[in-house]
Order: sequence, then structure tokens, then C-alpha cells
Amino acid sequence: MAMAALRREGRRFATPLISPNPANVFRSSLIPSEEPVLSGVRCISTQVVRNRMKSVKNIQKITKAMKMVAASKLRAIQTRAENSRGLWQPFTALLGDTPSIDVKKNVIVTISADKGLCGGINSTSVKISRAMHKLNSGPDKENKYVVLGEKAKAQLVRDSKKDIELVMTELQKNPLNYTQVSVMADDILKNVEFDALRIVYNKFQSVVSFLPTVSTVLSPEVVEREAESGGKLGDLDLYEIEGAETKAEVLQNLTEFQFSCMMYNAVLENATSEQGARMSAMDSSSRNAGDMLDRLTLTYNRTRQASITTELIEIISGASALEG
Amino acid sequence: MASNAAAPFWRSAGMTYITYSNLCANLVRNCLKEPYKAEALSREKVHYSISKWADGKPQKPSKHSHLFFLH
Repeated sequence: MAMAALRREGRRFATPLISPNPANVFRSSLIPSEEPVLSGVRCISTQVVRNRMKSVKNIQKITKAMKMVAASKLRAIQTRAENSRGLWQPFTALLGDTPSIDVKKNVIVTISADKGLCGGINSTSVKISRAMHKLNSGPDKENKYVVLGEKAKAQLVRDSKKDIELVMTELQKNPLNYTQVSVMADDILKNVEFDALRIVYNKFQSVVSFLPTVSTVLSPEVVEREAESGGKLGDLDLYEIEGAETKAEVLQNLTEFQFSCMMYNAVLENATSEQGARMSAMDSSSRNAGDMLDRLTLTYNRTRQASITTELIEIISGASALEG
Repeated sequence: MASNAAAPFWRSAGMTYITYSNLCANLVRNCLKEPYKAEALSREKVHYSISKWADGKPQKPSKHSHLFFLH
């Protein structure tokens, strides 16, 4: 009771302190209570527009902040992705890249982001994965998905959940590193049977262009078969193998290491593309919010001016009616 | 000679080449001197969650979160 009285007292004292012009406070507190009664529709519409303007302005602030965050993350991850390209290039020189190879057990590794608001890169990689699935399907063939990232999971669950074999998420809690990706690659190798792994990801080209890419990693048996039959990997037999290990052992080690390197590069490229796509998406959305704000301000000012003009006309005509 | 003999051993212990090379890399990291050692070890954090799917249903998810082979 005493507290309430004190608070009331405090407020009475505070009011003149806060506003230098008490009359102003009086007016502003009085008008909203009276306005709806006086002229309902007109004032409510400006109120709505004002609220809308405020929310658009807030959204613009958020998208601008997200753009800044994406830009700073992009710079850090872009150099790592570009450096990691040196990892797969020797493998492609040695084993070649054979996306058109025809094998029984296909495993499609779809790489996507965990978060949205980054344009179409997640749906692009899902689309390409579905196309790979269709391309490689046949009567005695098997197609399985290994899904990295929350977004591709959500899209693939809808129509091909029977084919999903493994789902991995929360990749980017710590900054991406080779150890993490190689442990994941290890998990994939242990849990999935495959003749060919097809890694689908978005290769980073520039901030506005991402190439959907498929990297193929063959199992050691398929590599050996192809090399012996002199097919696409016929040149592999020209290499000499040092040491006492057999060719099969060397090939198995090689394909395992190749897969982890390819995965590392693919995950990094996709993360770079994600940040780039998010940056450009947020850029365009803050521009759109700015345009919207301009339009709303124009409408708001026009309505306000119209109401002022009407009021003036009313006053003048009233005065002239009294005079005349 | 040692490497020739070692190759089948880690393979028969159920390791893949990736695990083996990671173990080796971690050994090298542990050989660094102190300010660099902690930095190199903290750089290689592993965290992700994995769930196996069977018949269109996710099985129990498991989380991997540790400093790799730090223990």
C-alpha cells in the first residue's frame, strides 16, 4: 500500500522532470483516447501504416546484420575452401573423375546446410541428388542417400525416406576441420555398403555463383575392375607399386583417403557457398525492405497531408461560414 | 620394414586408413611444444550428430562431441 502510494507520488514528481513541456504531455496523452471517437477510420489507417513501417525497419536491421555476419564468416571460410582444393586434385589426376560409371550399389552423399535463409543452394543439391538417383536406378541396382545437414533431410524425407541410410547434422558447431570431416567419412564408410559414392555439393565460384557438383569415389574393387578391363581407369596399371603391399591393399587405403579428402573439400565448398548465398540473399532482402519502407513512408505522408488539408479546409470553411 | 608389418595390424584391428592416419596425425600434434600443442589440439574439435535410418525411420541418434583422441 505504502509502495503504491510512493510510486504514484514518484510519478507525479517525475512527469514535469521528464518532459520540458508539460502541456505537450497532456495533449499526447489525451488525443489517443479521444481520436477514435472523433474520426475513426482515418487515424487508425495511419496508425497501422506506422506500425508496419516500424516492423519493416526492424526486419531491415536484422537482414543487414545477418549480411554482415555472413560476409565476415565467408572471408574466413573461403580461404580454407580454396586451400583444400589442393587435396583432391592429385586424386583426380591419378584415379580420374568418372561420374558416368555404371555400378550396382550407389550411395549419394547429399551435402547441405543446417540453416536456411541462404537462397536456393540446399534445394539445388537435393535436386541434383534426386537426378543422380533417377539416373542410376535400374532393376538390380540399389540407390541410397547419406544426408548431411538439416535442410536436405527435411526435403528428402518427403519423397524418398525409404532410401535414406544415414543422416548427419550439426556439422558447423565448431569451425570445420579435417579431423571432424574425416571421422564423419569414416562413419559413412563403416555404415554403408557401396560400389560408388557420389558426393553432391555446391562448388563455390564467386559470391553470386555456385556450381552444383558431383564428385565420384569408387570402391577399391570397382577401381581394380576398371583398371584391369582397361576401361576408364586403364592408365592406373602404368603406375608401379612400391613396398610389399598388394595392389588391393594400396587401393583400399587410397580410396578411403580419397573419400575423406573429397568430403573435406565438398563440405568446405558447400559451407562457403552457403555463406555467399546467404550474403546475397540478405543483401537483396534488405534492399527490398528499403524499397518497401520508401513506399510506406510515401503513403503515410500522403495520407497525413491529406488529413491536414481536409482539416484546414474544414476550419476555413467553418470560419467563413461564421463570417458570412 | 616396420610400416610394412604395421599395415595389416591396424587393418585387422578394425580400423580404416582414415582412423589410422588420424591417430598418426594426433601423435605428431602431441609432439609439439606447449603453446603450439594446445592450439593444434583445440583446432581439431569433432562435433556432429549422426543417426542411422532404417525403413524410412530414424533410429536412435548418437552425438559425437570430443577433442579427437585427446584422452
